[in-house]
Amino acid sequence: MAIELMGFEIGTLSAWLVWILPFAAAMIIPGIGKLSKHATGFVAVGFALMSALSAATMIPVALEAHELHHQIMWIESLGLKGGVLADPLSIIMANVVGWISFLIMIYSTGYMKGDKDIPRFWFWMMFFIGSMQLIVLSDNLLQVFFGWEGVGLASYALISFWYRDKKKDHVGTEGRTVLGMLDYYSPTHAGMKAFIMTKVGDVMMIAGMLLIFLFAGTFGFKELMGDTDWATAMAAQGLLVPAFVLLFGGAMGKSAQFPLNEWLLEAMTGPTAVSALIHAATMVKAGVFLVARIGPLVFALGAAGIMADQFFEIVAWVGAITALLLATQGMVNPEIKKVLAYSTGSQIGYMMMALGVAGLSHQYVDGYTAGFFHLISHAMFKASLFMAAGSLLHIVGSRFMTDMGGLRKQMKKTYAFMWAAGLGLMGAPFITTGFWSKDAIFAAVYESGNEWALPLYIIAVLTAVITAFYTTRMIGMVFFGNKSKHIEKMEEEGHHIHEASLSMWIPYGILAVLTIGVGLIGLSAEEGLHHVFTDYLEHSFGIHSAHVTEEASILPEFLQGLNPVALGSSLVAFATGIGLGYIFYIGRWVDPVKFVNSNIFFYSIHKLFLNRWYLNAIIYWCFVVAPLWLARGVFRYFEKTAIDYGMNAGVQKAVGWSAKVIQGTQTGVSQSYLFVFGAGLLFVVLILLM
Amino acid sequence: MLEITSTPLVLIAILGTVGILLPIISIVRKERGSNSFYAVIAFAALIVSMGYVGYQFINENVTPSALFSEDVIVDDAFGGFFAIAMLIVALFTTVGSFNYMRKHNSPAVYYSLILLATIGMVLVAYSTDLVMLFVAWELMSIPTYVLVGFMKKNPSSNEAALKYFLFGALSSAIIVYGISISYGLTGSTNIGEVIQGYSTLDPSLLPLALLSVGMFIAGFGFKMGLVPFHQWLPDTYDGAPPPITALLAAATKKAGFAATIRIVILGMVVLHLDWTLALGIIAVMTMTIGNVAAIMQKNLSRMLAYSSIAHAGYILIGLAIAPHSSLGLQGSLYQIMNHAVMKGAAFIAITGIVTTLAVTHIDKLKGLGRRMPITALGLVISLFALAGIPPLSGFWSKLMLFGGALDAGSVLWWAPWLAIAGVLNSALSLAYYGWITRKMYFEGETEKRVKEPKSVIAVMIASIIFLVGFGVYPEPLIKFVELATPVISLGIMP
Repeated sequence: MAIELMGFEIGTLSAWLVWILPFAAAMIIPGIGKLSKHATGFVAVGFALMSALSAATMIPVALEAHELHHQIMWIESLGLKGGVLADPLSIIMANVVGWISFLIMIYSTGYMKGDKDIPRFWFWMMFFIGSMQLIVLSDNLLQVFFGWEGVGLASYALISFWYRDKKKDHVGTEGRTVLGMLDYYSPTHAGMKAFIMTKVGDVMMIAGMLLIFLFAGTFGFKELMGDTDWATAMAAQGLLVPAFVLLFGGAMGKSAQFPLNEWLLEAMTGPTAVSALIHAATMVKAGVFLVARIGPLVFALGAAGIMADQFFEIVAWVGAITALLLATQGMVNPEIKKVLAYSTGSQIGYMMMALGVAGLSHQYVDGYTAGFFHLISHAMFKASLFMAAGSLLHIVGSRFMTDMGGLRKQMKKTYAFMWAAGLGLMGAPFITTGFWSKDAIFAAVYESGNEWALPLYIIAVLTAVITAFYTTRMIGMVFFGNKSKHIEKMEEEGHHIHEASLSMWIPYGILAVLTIGVGLIGLSAEEGLHHVFTDYLEHSFGIHSAHVTEEASILPEFLQGLNPVALGSSLVAFATGIGLGYIFYIGRWVDPVKFVNSNIFFYSIHKLFLNRWYLNAIIYWCFVVAPLWLARGVFRYFEKTAIDYGMNAGVQKAVGWSAKVIQGTQTGVSQSYLFVFGAGLLFVVLILLM
Repeated sequence: MLEITSTPLVLIAILGTVGILLPIISIVRKERGSNSFYAVIAFAALIVSMGYVGYQFINENVTPSALFSEDVIVDDAFGGFFAIAMLIVALFTTVGSFNYMRKHNSPAVYYSLILLATIGMVLVAYSTDLVMLFVAWELMSIPTYVLVGFMKKNPSSNEAALKYFLFGALSSAIIVYGISISYGLTGSTNIGEVIQGYSTLDPSLLPLALLSVGMFIAGFGFKMGLVPFHQWLPDTYDGAPPPITALLAAATKKAGFAATIRIVILGMVVLHLDWTLALGIIAVMTMTIGNVAAIMQKNLSRMLAYSSIAHAGYILIGLAIAPHSSLGLQGSLYQIMNHAVMKGAAFIAITGIVTTLAVTHIDKLKGLGRRMPITALGLVISLFALAGIPPLSGFWSKLMLFGGALDAGSVLWWAPWLAIAGVLNSALSLAYYGWITRKMYFEGETEKRVKEPKSVIAVMIASIIFLVGFGVYPEPLIKFVELATPVISLGIMP
């Protein structure tokens, strides 16, 4: 008994330590940086490891579908509490974040070697991880919001890490314009863009939070679930769905979902380790996590008769649109990191779609598990791909894939790992995690039995084809074909193209191997997760999952339990995508440039995709150019006249004059003071007599 | 009867003994003792006193805020709350004087007077009898008259002392007059019995009772620095030695509030007359005039003197609405505690600046952030806390005050206007707080760091910890305030 009690205590402590440790590291790193810049790296990696280990100690709790909930009073008078909530969802997430971050930190020691601002880099990385873990383990929305803003701040600081705006740190093609807007961004611009665009979501989120608080009087997840009168009251006024959608607005901003997706591409100006962290472990996953956090609550409310189906419809559609929109753009972009960024947005769209569809079906747990499983597998292969891409950038010295080519002989390890992780992204059948998670999403969408199931399913499959295509394209352009002029020039100048250093290839090697390794046992992994989540949803939210006994289908023994339609679509999508990619970029039987220019239809589609569906330019016109124009007008015709000459001068004069008058009474002569004192006494007595 | 271990008696014993012994030691040692020797003794006495008050609270050995008592003093949470606030300021003053007094003579007397004044302040908060209160009032005032004029050769110090004394004498006279009227009407000086008598007063005598209330407001209003009883204040604060200004602004001012709450607020609830409006009008006048006058000031101590007038106005909001909103009075007590630390720290920062650089003109503060980084940081944090910027402690007390005023709006139509005036005034006050900040951090380029007095650094760090700590985690302080705030209702009669 005592040991169990101890175990509980230790578990709770771990839940606190997971996010406090990174913050603690961030606090001491600047100080250590004064003594030795080199040491900061060890501190950061060490604390990241400790945080990840703390997360790992909680795994038994998750497997038993228990939860640890520990609260402390913060401001009791306002009913505000702080706390940690370690339930299966957050424990699994904390481990994903913790371990992937740890690997990225190891990678960073190699990638950032020699940067003279290295303490600043480590500070923000640790701050980033700490904020993310705070989001994951918080037991209430307010605390989540603190982490949320911390993540936003850290991403801003890291995206514009190279704030000197050197040419090599930009993204986009210099001089290229779309609708008159430059498609070429400096790190500082990109950081600002990310910060402001996600802030749009944050404002929605805080509005949603406060709306809920107004009715429920609490921010706590457990408390919100415990007593649902607030939801009844909100639904009666028609505010329930708006509040949840506003919360989802925050998730849209952070997870770069349409229409707040455009910041994600420019975020590539940061060091590649940062991109990996943003895309695999922190930032963009925060939005998915938030939806996974509140989704069961919304579903449970629905089961209790307080319907909020529109919320799930919006989530599913936003996810679907984003998945397709960003995948199409990923097909044509020449920059390797941008292709990966598009792919992230697109895959996050998948997760959102799954979480949304889950709420529209009767088996909530299917879609929920599918979305979350995809989050885990995506975290592995995307971190690996980004780090590998970082190695390429590091060695080739260019972000353009057209400057690479034919690298498979010189960078064998990177080549192999990129294939492994890339196959995960493509969803290579039966051996990769990506396949199983994507297949689960297909099945969830297909089986949801919802009116939107068919269109969503078509989008999902189409996106999968495109995903396989652009991944093949990326690998083909980088590793196959002839050496580009850029590389030949480098070799002429005596640079030797070589494999990345040990500390760099080990992390992405591990993740690439894991992608395949876990993929081999993918089906049982998914079933395990499914089991954990079934218990979790039932235990914490009272969502029962019907135990479906699958009829024996036409599938072979080891695939029993899968949906044949979904399985078939996955296979076809993978084969089509990789086949097309092989024709153009690996076999090089058709020259893609000539093909695109061959007729006006392909040409215009290509241009539409390359110009980002013109969305970015339109956003700039509407929200940057137009307000600036308006601001100039207001400045010239209103501020300069009415405010400066009217208000400002007027108020200033009035206050100054009053101050003079009051100082005038301050004569320094005691007699006059005594007179005022006496008059004051009279005044008080007169008011009292009134 | 009070037990011998009750807090006020123990405080008298500790502080009184040490306060009287200090000059005697000095005489015995033929005035050879160094400044720090006496400072350490005074410091120890204050720490022990503080420890005793704190120990009583932790042991829950404190009665809830008793409004009345048959004794002349009562050992309750209300008094204890004020005692802690005043002891904090006395500690700040003592520590802050370490360096300042090196250049001046007779340190023993100086520290002894601080201790004696502290007894007076603490006793004012504990008194439940008008005569006792008056004695304590004088015990507090007379040492401070001397302290203000402690720099004998300095004309402005002398002028400050004289003005302070003149008005102090006047206000004492007015208070005594008020006491005599109430004694004449009720035949008692025990506050509880006076109230009892007032509630059964013959209607034809009511104007006299009103006169006594007016006298109390005016008499205590002098110490609180309420407009129009404030005019001595900038002259005195400016001329007095800066650590003593800290004592005046942060501590003796609070004694005025303690006395007002004991007599006017608690007592006069039973008088069926509307003194709330009077206090409301004075509150708005006080904060507005204080802030507006502060804006154009070029002298840092004068600016803070006006700011401290303005703060009396904020505190008075809670007093004005006390019968209708318990939140308001809690806010007042909270603000009193915060203001003690904020203003104490600000004036000790000035002490540091004056001892090191010998300037108080704001233009001379250019680049202070580089010259005296810790002092400047402490000053900025106290200024921002004074302005009520979250997450500093001053934010919560203002939130409670203004929130209380809004709450009371359902009973008093004008109460929300107090909140509006308070918010506007806070905005106005940022104009000059921000100005000082700008001077210190954004102007001047070539300044080199100078050595900051260690004692000032200690006070700065302590106050930063207090203001930021309780700003982020205000719960303990809110609990303490709730414990110390007396519950006002018409039902409580002695």
